[in-house]
Amino acid sequence: MRLLYINNDGSGFADYVSSHEGTTVEQFFNEQMPGRKATDFLIRVNRQPVPKDYVLQEGDRVTITPTKIEGASV
Amino acid sequence: MEDRKKLARMANRIREGLMQLKYSRYLELNRQLTTLTGQLQQLTTESRKMGASVTRGWLSAAQRCCKNVSRLLGEVGYSMPRIRPLAEKPQKEIPKLPVLVDELDALEKEFGDIEFDASKNTISVVTEPITLEDIYLGPFKIQLDLNKLDQLYYSSPYLVIALEPNPPATDDGVTHPHVSGEKLCEGDGSAAIKAALEDGRICDFFTIARSILNTYSPDSPYVALHDWDGATCYDCGYTMNSEDSYFCQYCEHDYCPDCSTYCRHCEETVCLGCSGQCSYCEEMLCRNCVSGCEECGELFCQSCLENDLCPNCKEEKENENEQQETEINESENTSQPQTETAEVKLAS
Repeated sequence: MRLLYINNDGSGFADYVSSHEGTTVEQFFNEQMPGRKATDFLIRVNRQPVPKDYVLQEGDRVTITPTKIEGASV
Repeated sequence: MEDRKKLARMANRIREGLMQLKYSRYLELNRQLTTLTGQLQQLTTESRKMGASVTRGWLSAAQRCCKNVSRLLGEVGYSMPRIRPLAEKPQKEIPKLPVLVDELDALEKEFGDIEFDASKNTISVVTEPITLEDIYLGPFKIQLDLNKLDQLYYSSPYLVIALEPNPPATDDGVTHPHVSGEKLCEGDGSAAIKAALEDGRICDFFTIARSILNTYSPDSPYVALHDWDGATCYDCGYTMNSEDSYFCQYCEHDYCPDCSTYCRHCEETVCLGCSGQCSYCEEMLCRNCVSGCEECGELFCQSCLENDLCPNCKEEKENENEQQETEINESENTSQPQTETAEVKLAS
């Protein structure tokens, strides 16, 4: 199935990706962000907070935003 | 329904701002290209001059060309990475009104309330109070100016306003380690913020800005959190940045520049209280570099002491020694003539 995946980590990524039917949000996160902790991110599906076992649907929009981003002084 | 209408009005303003942004991207690209072509034209001119110089054996002229070429290549190198992303990034369609309304709806759910100033054309949200490393910084209003969206490529179209400012002791203009003059230094979030605004992902923009405010980067703040209350001079009580303070290794306290000095011999920093002064050359010294004269007990630097004597005492000693020698010589001279007179008398 096709999902709109927006990753606001680093320089940002916003594009369609493919995923298997029946993939949960937690599984999708682990696939796209291996080695990272979900608690360090704000995860929204169709702009709404969802439980980690929410099963993604065709055309869903998944947004992942880090809760901690380092600023600077220049 | 009223809320929905209000969101629709905001969404319309956002759409207008995004259209201006789209136009400004091409304007900025054109401006950068004009600069680049100017630089390339200058390089072409230098190339012709170089050719003529080399043909005629004008080595000084050729050297001047090399210098100009080197400068121009640096400028071209600066321009290229700025142009490439403007030219390469695919231009996405401006989101339709219903999509932007959904964005604003999500924004409202995320932040609780959206403030829309129709006259100033700004959209604002307020964060929760922020505390970083036990320092309370208060809530911040993130205010996006839709009139300035088209300045995204060279300026910041939003402000970060402290609602309960708690600035550091040394700079009123800093309200957060990464906010100065109500401008957020985005650091690692810069590219993501730009991308979010270009795509019209308004909720993502505010969420990213909030994430930056919730993070302390100790490597590059305007004012470090450990300096937030400033360093106080142990002597006069003046409050300063810890970078401007001087640490005395003898008493282990911080001092301001006026209450500290450095040893002219070993160059270590020392407070005025722990420092001494050579009584002869008057240089400032630390405790380790000062010694007492054996005779008078005054303090002197190593250079002014000779055999543990200061110059004055040394001179006095030398004078004493000379005097003693003179006295000894005189006493030796007076005793010899008396013996000869006695022998003459006996002979007659």
